[in-house]
Amino acid sequence: MVNSPQEDGLVLNGLTKILGGRVIIDNLHLVVKKGEMVSLLGPSGCGKTTTLRMIAGFLIPDKGNIVLDGKDVTTIGPEKRPSAMVFQNYALWPHMTVFNNVAYPLKVRKLTKPDIEKRVHDALALVNLMHHKDSRPGQISGGEQQRVALARALVQEPDILLLDEPLSNLDAKLRVKVREDIRDLQRRLGITTVIVTHDQDEALSISDRIAVMNNGKIEQFSTPQELYDRPETEYVANFIGSLNHIQGGYENGQITPGTDVVGIRPEDVHFSKEELPGSYPATVELVVPRGHFCEVYLKRADIELRAFISSDVPRAGSTGFVKINKALIYKDGKLVKVA
Amino acid sequence: MAKQEKSRAKSSSPIVKFFLVLFMLAMAFFILGPLLWLAIHAFVTNWTYPNIYPDGWTWHWWTQVFADSALEHSIRNSLIISPIVVLLSMIICLPAAYAAGRMQYAGRKTFLIGMFAANSFPKIGLFASIATLYYALNLMGTIVGVIIIQLLGTIIYMTWIPAAAFASVPRNLEEAARDAGASKFRVFRTITLRLAMPGILVAIVMSFLASFDEAQGTYLVGAPSIYTMPTEMYALVENYPIQVAAVFSLLLALPSVLLIGLARKHIVGGQLAEGFQIK
Amino acid sequence: MTSTKSGVTVESLGAKKAPRLSIIGFFMALPPLLLVVFFVGLPVLIAFTFSLGFTTGPNRVLSIIGQEIHKKDHWWGTFAAYKDVYHDPRFAGDMRTTIAITVISTTLVLLMALGIGIYQRMIGGRLASVMTALTLVPLFVPVVIAAWAIHTFYAGDGFMRTFFSQFGINFPTITSTVSAIAIGTIWTSLPFAILMVTSGLQSIPDALIETAQDAGAGFFRIIRTVLIPLAITPIVIAGTFTGIGILGSFTIPLFLGPNQPTMLGVEISNFFGAYNRPQQSIVMAFIVFASASGIALIYIWANVRSAKQSGRI
Ligand SMILES: Nc1ncnc2c1ncn2[C@@H]1O[C@H](COP(=O)(O)OP(=O)(O)O)[C@@H](O)[C@H]1O
Ligand SMILES: [Mg+2]
Repeated sequence: MVNSPQEDGLVLNGLTKILGGRVIIDNLHLVVKKGEMVSLLGPSGCGKTTTLRMIAGFLIPDKGNIVLDGKDVTTIGPEKRPSAMVFQNYALWPHMTVFNNVAYPLKVRKLTKPDIEKRVHDALALVNLMHHKDSRPGQISGGEQQRVALARALVQEPDILLLDEPLSNLDAKLRVKVREDIRDLQRRLGITTVIVTHDQDEALSISDRIAVMNNGKIEQFSTPQELYDRPETEYVANFIGSLNHIQGGYENGQITPGTDVVGIRPEDVHFSKEELPGSYPATVELVVPRGHFCEVYLKRADIELRAFISSDVPRAGSTGFVKINKALIYKDGKLVKVA
Repeated sequence: MAKQEKSRAKSSSPIVKFFLVLFMLAMAFFILGPLLWLAIHAFVTNWTYPNIYPDGWTWHWWTQVFADSALEHSIRNSLIISPIVVLLSMIICLPAAYAAGRMQYAGRKTFLIGMFAANSFPKIGLFASIATLYYALNLMGTIVGVIIIQLLGTIIYMTWIPAAAFASVPRNLEEAARDAGASKFRVFRTITLRLAMPGILVAIVMSFLASFDEAQGTYLVGAPSIYTMPTEMYALVENYPIQVAAVFSLLLALPSVLLIGLARKHIVGGQLAEGFQIK
Repeated sequence: MTSTKSGVTVESLGAKKAPRLSIIGFFMALPPLLLVVFFVGLPVLIAFTFSLGFTTGPNRVLSIIGQEIHKKDHWWGTFAAYKDVYHDPRFAGDMRTTIAITVISTTLVLLMALGIGIYQRMIGGRLASVMTALTLVPLFVPVVIAAWAIHTFYAGDGFMRTFFSQFGINFPTITSTVSAIAIGTIWTSLPFAILMVTSGLQSIPDALIETAQDAGAGFFRIIRTVLIPLAITPIVIAGTFTGIGILGSFTIPLFLGPNQPTMLGVEISNFFGAYNRPQQSIVMAFIVFASASGIALIYIWANVRSAKQSGRI
């Protein structure tokens, strides 16, 4: 199975879904390349799960179509669709052992017993759970349950893997580890994957590309780096990372009066004791330690800026000079200039 | 979250739909048919087989029922005895249900199974066996005797369902209220009791129906001095035309129908079913 | 294994509190226990001694009034009354009828409850809700009325025969046959079974069904491998309660059944009253009770099993 990176794995073409009389998904387009890992990122209620359920076949879109590896699967039921989904609460069957949970899709496919045994063992080995194969879901930890659910999806050798907030029920430490495991597995198997999350850290750290969703639409679909550097809308800029909002204009590193919105990342605010070309004086109002950096509140006249500073942290009350390295200028919520 | 929409391929074909509707009509006929047939008889003069229409319509049987003092007595007895039975049952069983709901699993199980075992001895056999005791205690033919007999049939409902309801009140809600400064009693009244109320309500309704409908025991213990509506039915069926029994049935069904409205939501909502699983 | 750990702490906390709580709890639980012990346990125990031929003490009155009373001939009593019943030709027929009705009606009730429950769980919609609501009607109808209504409906001049005679069809009279008992017991048992089964099926999370669909399972496989195993406890409870209820039924067979053979509930009453053979009557009650206990064991097994699965014990 050689994946040419250009080949389309999943195409969502103008998907629209109306639920309870409301338009939940509104003319959504998305192209996921074969072998790519894509996140659907957005606040709770923006329609991520609904989109995923349409890809899996649990919901049929009211408009638009879904193409998987060149085949239109829009109306194919979930049982026939070559997709596998991992549910938010894992949805393991409590009355079956770990082994039987993973074996279920293979039994449905009427594989021979030795075949089933071998593939289940392979899948459980993949997620490091061989020692729990005879346990019941109720007897293993949340992280382990999560891996069983993953094994159950992978054992189907799906054309596309769908994960609905797979990490939201794990504690913070485990979350970081498991998301790396998932990323690792996905790379090794080269499986096209769509993962739903509302956690930007998670999305930024594991995805090839991120689709930021808002109100049933995709606001921006690009790589994590691009999303950070060039958020196309104010909404995306707010959602990814932190941002200083200033009403006004921006010229030559200076805030000017105006009606646009100037967005400045705290990382792009430089503060020093000495005056640099293009900098202006400011007072340090407050310093908040944030672990490996400090959040510094700077004030000049009526403009307040937050800066993330990791070395030579100034003291509150001291004065110095601020230099803005980069600003994003938005008009009516849309990016018009990066300066 | 709302139930996910079930719009998938399951949107059944017209043929499947047709058979489903057919099945439902058959069920409706099976369940409602006899009731309607009996109800119509309350208003007919006579019905000659095999005519499809009755011979005529009348209110006569209703006046006859209300004029008959024996029938009226039985109605009065029923309306007095059943509320007393339910009230006693609540006083006797609810504290126990609360204790059971708060017990460790093993203790609760023993208690509830005990109540269940008592309930699974065939009623008619129990009533035959109880006669000895009743003679010894001079309870035969007394109101107290009838009340006790009916009480026995309500215990299973009044312990099991509220026990499950009490058990399912989350402890941390009570703890939060205690934390907020509420006294123990206040917590019980405003949190525990409130949250367990649907279960208790279902238990009250089921107990009332059990008491109101009880016939075998009441007949054995009460007859011939005390008749309630159901035991009067035994006599009616043998001694009066079917139309009088029909009128009486409608009257007897009335409280039940009123209670449907009161507790339907919780009964259908699973309180009853919850109550019969030991958790 | 965090769950086990927290389980241990909770339990040890409970254990610390237990002594005080259990004494108060014990006294709170006492009134219904006493009532049951005094008005069910005691009479049943006395009746049991009576069935074994202990005819003195509290059993004196009955043994004077009753006919064909056997007195004990060993220190433990006698089985003479049991032998009487066993050799009574009526009993064999009644026992067979009782078992047949219990098995057939319970099976049909369970099948109907499963059908309606699965329909509501998997397909849903208004039709399903209407159907479920409809099947609950008998819950609110007093048994006496139900029995009488069914009696008149299937009687010689009842609706069924009236209706079919319009088309020249001679519909059989069902009232006073064993089939009428089956109809009556199904009619009255349906709501409870449907409530239990439907609520059990409804409490299965959507995701557990959808994962099975996602894995490629079809309608019937999902029913077989996911729905029924997950709802097995309420299904068994529905079955046992229905079975025990039907086993001891009295009013339904009294109003709807033939004189012979009928169900043991009616025969217990006949032997006690009409035939004045109280000892034999009580023997039959114990036979019914023994059968009910057998069914109750299944019920207890189901409860314990579900408690084990969810880690409560
Ligand atoms: N079956 C349904 N009927 C009506 N509204 C629904 C249904 N399912 C989801 N919704 C609504 O659609 C919106 C998006 O839901 P969802 O896709 O679950 O959001 P997300 O996964 O992004 O949190 C929510 O406002 C939700 O209330
Ligand atoms: Mg979601």
